[in-house]
Amino acid sequence: MTGQLPMLIVVIPLISAFLCPLIGLWRKDACYYWLILALSACAVGSIDTLVTVIYGGTIHYHLGGWAPPFGIEYVVDHLNGMMLVIISVISLAVAIYSKRSIEEELPEKVVYFYTAFLLQVTGFLGIVITGDLFNLYVFLEIASLAGYALIAIGEDGAPLASFRYIVMGTIGACFYLLGVGYIYVSTGSLNMADVHQILPQLYRSKVIITAVSFLLAGLAVKMALFPVHVWLPDAYTKAPSAASALIAPLMTKISLYVMIRLLFTVFKPSLSIELLPVADIMVWAGVIAILGGAIMALAQTDFKRMLCYIVVAEVGYIVGGVGLANATAMKGAILHILNDAVMTVGLFTVAGIVVYKTGRHDLSDCKDLFKKMPFTMAAFVVVALSIIGVPPTCGFFSKWYLIHGAVIAKHWAFLAALLLSSLISVILFFRIIEIGYAFRPSHGWHSGGGHAAAIDEAPLSMLIPTIAIAIAIILIGLYNQTILSNIIAPAVPVL
Amino acid sequence: MFDFIVSYYNYWVFIGLMMVGFYAMMAKRNLIKKIIGMNIFQSAIIFFYISTSVKKGGVTVPILEHGHAAHAADGLEHGAHAVDIMQYANPLPHVLMLTAIVVMVATLGVALAVAIMIYRRYNTLEEDEIIKLLRRG
Amino acid sequence: MKILSVIAGVLVGAALIYGALDMPKWGDPHSPASSHVSPYYLRHSIEHTATPNVVTSVLADYRGYDTLGETTVVFTAGIACILLLRKGRKRQGKRHV
Repeated sequence: MTGQLPMLIVVIPLISAFLCPLIGLWRKDACYYWLILALSACAVGSIDTLVTVIYGGTIHYHLGGWAPPFGIEYVVDHLNGMMLVIISVISLAVAIYSKRSIEEELPEKVVYFYTAFLLQVTGFLGIVITGDLFNLYVFLEIASLAGYALIAIGEDGAPLASFRYIVMGTIGACFYLLGVGYIYVSTGSLNMADVHQILPQLYRSKVIITAVSFLLAGLAVKMALFPVHVWLPDAYTKAPSAASALIAPLMTKISLYVMIRLLFTVFKPSLSIELLPVADIMVWAGVIAILGGAIMALAQTDFKRMLCYIVVAEVGYIVGGVGLANATAMKGAILHILNDAVMTVGLFTVAGIVVYKTGRHDLSDCKDLFKKMPFTMAAFVVVALSIIGVPPTCGFFSKWYLIHGAVIAKHWAFLAALLLSSLISVILFFRIIEIGYAFRPSHGWHSGGGHAAAIDEAPLSMLIPTIAIAIAIILIGLYNQTILSNIIAPAVPVL
Repeated sequence: MFDFIVSYYNYWVFIGLMMVGFYAMMAKRNLIKKIIGMNIFQSAIIFFYISTSVKKGGVTVPILEHGHAAHAADGLEHGAHAVDIMQYANPLPHVLMLTAIVVMVATLGVALAVAIMIYRRYNTLEEDEIIKLLRRG
Repeated sequence: MKILSVIAGVLVGAALIYGALDMPKWGDPHSPASSHVSPYYLRHSIEHTATPNVVTSVLADYRGYDTLGETTVVFTAGIACILLLRKGRKRQGKRHV
């Protein structure tokens, strides 16, 4: 039974998704508990898999029993073991959180929303766990299609945002497929480990250079790297709160994972560092993304839209960190994938609570929120401190390693961008906190009237996941050395 | 030079198709035209994969001739040696593209569904008109 | 915008042409694509799967998991269409903005 665990992690949400509409025919509200059940099983399975990997090394699972280059293989090592835990735990938290928000925003679509939710998680897990280039494409499309649908059912303007995402996303996925095709033509194989064995003799081939550039270009679209991020802010702002809380933290992080996987498992690091200027381009792309994202975030008056630009800036941190190509910066980049996933989900769950209570998501709607929902805003402050990078929270440690890596690589532009964006984050979040406090007791109290009095603390099903995320941020910060030495240090590729 | 162009002509065809599709996706303002561009783009990739499976010189589809007869005559173990691989086209790209075609159709379906949704809400499929409506409302 | 798209399209095309220069010739029977993994399928299809149609045996057996993924993609598209096109009562008022 335990031998089948890597397979079960993907198959449980898949089969649950097939059964979800049938359960919906019987009882609509049972779907929610079905979703929680499936994702809990999935989370337990992935945590168990990660523990097995830590103690027993990499797991290989041959689907259908066919040996690797001929059949499809699942490979779980430290890096994607960590990704599996991130995905399954975050999606479980968002699933618990989604109940009230979906009942409020899309009451008659609950059943199909949860089905699409499960398919989205299936796609994410399938992308992360597979060791086969083409299988990755198939699951990428499952995740993308479910994502397009979840975004399009949002508020006014969401269908157009989703349509633009479809066009951009298809270009990204097709570039990836084309890159895989070029690799296949020159190696004859689709298995990542097998391609890794064959490729070194072909590194000077023009086919491989083109393949690398198309793969990275496709993934850059999917991860919303700065110049091609244009689909992201609209799509995530207008999506239903639960959908944006699920997709915003995970989709970008998974594309980043695929990028790391391709650069260091499929290709050898020497290709991206010595033969091609990929690493240098990535650092500069990271610098531009950090500055662009941070400055655009400063210009926003919409709460969710501002968070979207923070996501864009955070992608820059990781791309730049990988591009610095030294072990310290890599450690920081991989730790930042974990931290940023947790921080982003925290931000979007808080935004979802604001939408649930006020029905809108302008910055001006945050007025007086500290008094009205103290626990939610306490969680928000923890997340904000983490994004700024204040010591006990996890954001500090990954930033520390990234800065240290930039110093080792003597890349001062990246260092400056990191520090500047931290400064901008301070401004961004203190602006919200200031609006949230709104020190006008006598005036605000009376003119608020009936509507303002209706806003109070969020329901428990939304509050508990949000506070759990805030606690997780502090815990990851406190135990960062344990995480680093057990999971991330073995995941860092030998450079 | 002429020989070079001829011996690589499958690549030129797919690159041409792909550029047409890419241009239509980026430049056209009408959503349905964008979807058509998307389809041309994806078809170009399918064309590329399929063209790599071709082998010149009397090659046929990858369905083994007298497959069952050879199987019966040689028995399970020796059936493996009876096949001349130069006689059959490469089956793997065909398999990959069967999957990719289905993915493409599914993407097309979702894109059209979103387009219908947009049309129901704004009564137009021109992107600039929709943006104007969004700004006003 | 149009000029930008033309430039982007031409750039993509140029990159692809650059890549194609080192590609195996069309129909080359000894290209890596035809000589690494695929001969295994042709040789062993009958022995392993008792299916003379090699495409079928790869599709449904060797790489059957891709086909499960493909089926899931179709299911996802179906769910997406139901999710998007079923008329909801709540949004009706907002339609004519």
